[in-house]
Amino acid sequence: MRKPGIGHTIIHALLILWAILQLYPVVWLALSTLKPTADILSRIFAPPTSLYLSNYDLQLFSQRGILISVYFLNSTIVTLTTLTVLTIVGLLAGYAMAKLNGPGKNVILIALVGMLGIPVHALIIPLYYFVAQLKLLSNHWGLILPYVAFFLPFSILLLQTYFRQFPDEIMEAAKIDGGNHLQVFGRIVMPVSLGGIATVLIINFLGIWNEFLFSLVIMKNNHAKTLPVGLMSFRGPYNADWGPMLAAMFMATIPPLLFYFIFHRKIISGITAGSLKE
Amino acid sequence: MERTVKRDYGEYVMFCVFMLPAVVFISVFILYPMIQSLVLPFFRWKGYGKLTFIGLKNFVTMFTKDEFFWTALKNSLLFSFFGTVGTVGIGFVLALLIDFKIRFWAVYRFLFFLTVSISVVITGLLWVKVLDPFGLLNALLAAIGMEHLQRVWLGDVATAMPAIIATAVWQYSGFTMIFLLAGMQSINPQLYESATIDGATRLRTVFSITIPLLRHVFSVIIMLQLIFSFKVFDQVWVMTQGGPAGATEVLGTHLYKDAFRLVRFGYGSVIASIMFFVAFVFSLIYIRVSGYAGTVNRAARN
Repeated sequence: MRKPGIGHTIIHALLILWAILQLYPVVWLALSTLKPTADILSRIFAPPTSLYLSNYDLQLFSQRGILISVYFLNSTIVTLTTLTVLTIVGLLAGYAMAKLNGPGKNVILIALVGMLGIPVHALIIPLYYFVAQLKLLSNHWGLILPYVAFFLPFSILLLQTYFRQFPDEIMEAAKIDGGNHLQVFGRIVMPVSLGGIATVLIINFLGIWNEFLFSLVIMKNNHAKTLPVGLMSFRGPYNADWGPMLAAMFMATIPPLLFYFIFHRKIISGITAGSLKE
Repeated sequence: MERTVKRDYGEYVMFCVFMLPAVVFISVFILYPMIQSLVLPFFRWKGYGKLTFIGLKNFVTMFTKDEFFWTALKNSLLFSFFGTVGTVGIGFVLALLIDFKIRFWAVYRFLFFLTVSISVVITGLLWVKVLDPFGLLNALLAAIGMEHLQRVWLGDVATAMPAIIATAVWQYSGFTMIFLLAGMQSINPQLYESATIDGATRLRTVFSITIPLLRHVFSVIIMLQLIFSFKVFDQVWVMTQGGPAGATEVLGTHLYKDAFRLVRFGYGSVIASIMFFVAFVFSLIYIRVSGYAGTVNRAARN
């Protein structure tokens, strides 16, 4: 066995160095939101001296046409609706891929893996036009429907790896007792696979909440924008006002960070399981 | 044998029923636009009204007259290459250090992966502030007495692209780390023990045991990183929008500007088709290395 000693101290030092390098900007962001802009600029490293909360004044934002609470609501509606539809559709398909015999299954599997690599940009032009034809520009559904499709390949692949682990014998027994596929799926397989389903939900939550390009193109109207797109308004004339800008950025980071703090184990194991076979 | 024959039809029907919603979504929102994007490059189109067939004219324009296309292609490749080398390199070193059976290893893993969960828009805007003339980096240089190194990092043609790549490496090294660490932790510790008994140093075992056994994980993670980084758009759009003077133009931003600012949908589609082609090649390699192809082959044989 390798034994702890001076070597371990050096390793810890190196790891802590990288941790500081990686996390300091995020910590700085959080702390700077509590300082007036002038303070941030003049004493950039100094921690906040008092609890200065004016940066979080949402009224001030809306006077400037930056509707943080509207963006927040849009992001929430789009993310939750997408997750609901995506999970139902993904569960059915993942179960079918893992446990049922069907025509063209191998071709579907290869196609799904191939779709993981498709750059959405390559499809953005026809999709934009298609959504426009459906009269869904600046409409939540104009974003939700393509999102469901784009997050499906990864979801199906990950879900089927969880369903595969479920022993066939138990399903056979349930079927002999007179259950059909839907009942076996709903009463026996689903409850056991809840952990896997949660993993898929959480990873998709992050992906959907943070998505940018589609939202940028489809949600034109300021009242329809999601958070990442809404935050781009800060690239404009208010770019110099660091305080409110950093506060808005920090607010948008809270939901994903919270999710990460609670579910990091599931996220980490799920991402490796879905992308790597065996 | 008898059993499979008996239940085949019912199961086929169930399979189709269960797959139907997913197939509809993917066909309408992925396959249909995919076919369109293969056709659109041969037309002139304003996004409304008539499509005018112009053959290969868009391709000719792109290859011969559009200087920004070549810059964008070069920058996309640079970003993919150095982004992948950076994230995989740093991710490997971090995983290796954590795998030394140190205490609190899970805490480090937690901390290093944290930035992956944040939106690229936020990290991009954050780094705009870090790299700002009055930002963190220049202030840090001043604090350690190295003012002569201060720069307008994102406004300088020489430093803008490296700065964007550095931001990506900063955010995503934790992503490659979790794959490599998971791989390392699945290596049988007895292999290391017997190598140490035979007199191998820890460094030797990295090259003789760890790296060879992680070949599969390495190929997967390299392909994933190449696929992700070749389609870069968000980060560049947030940080520089392709500037200064096109120094950070990538295919994603070039396409966006052509299609949605200049309303040249046909021409934008040509750029999309190039991205598509490269991503397709990457994906084929990924299917091979990820092991999914092997599963399908085995399934087909049975």
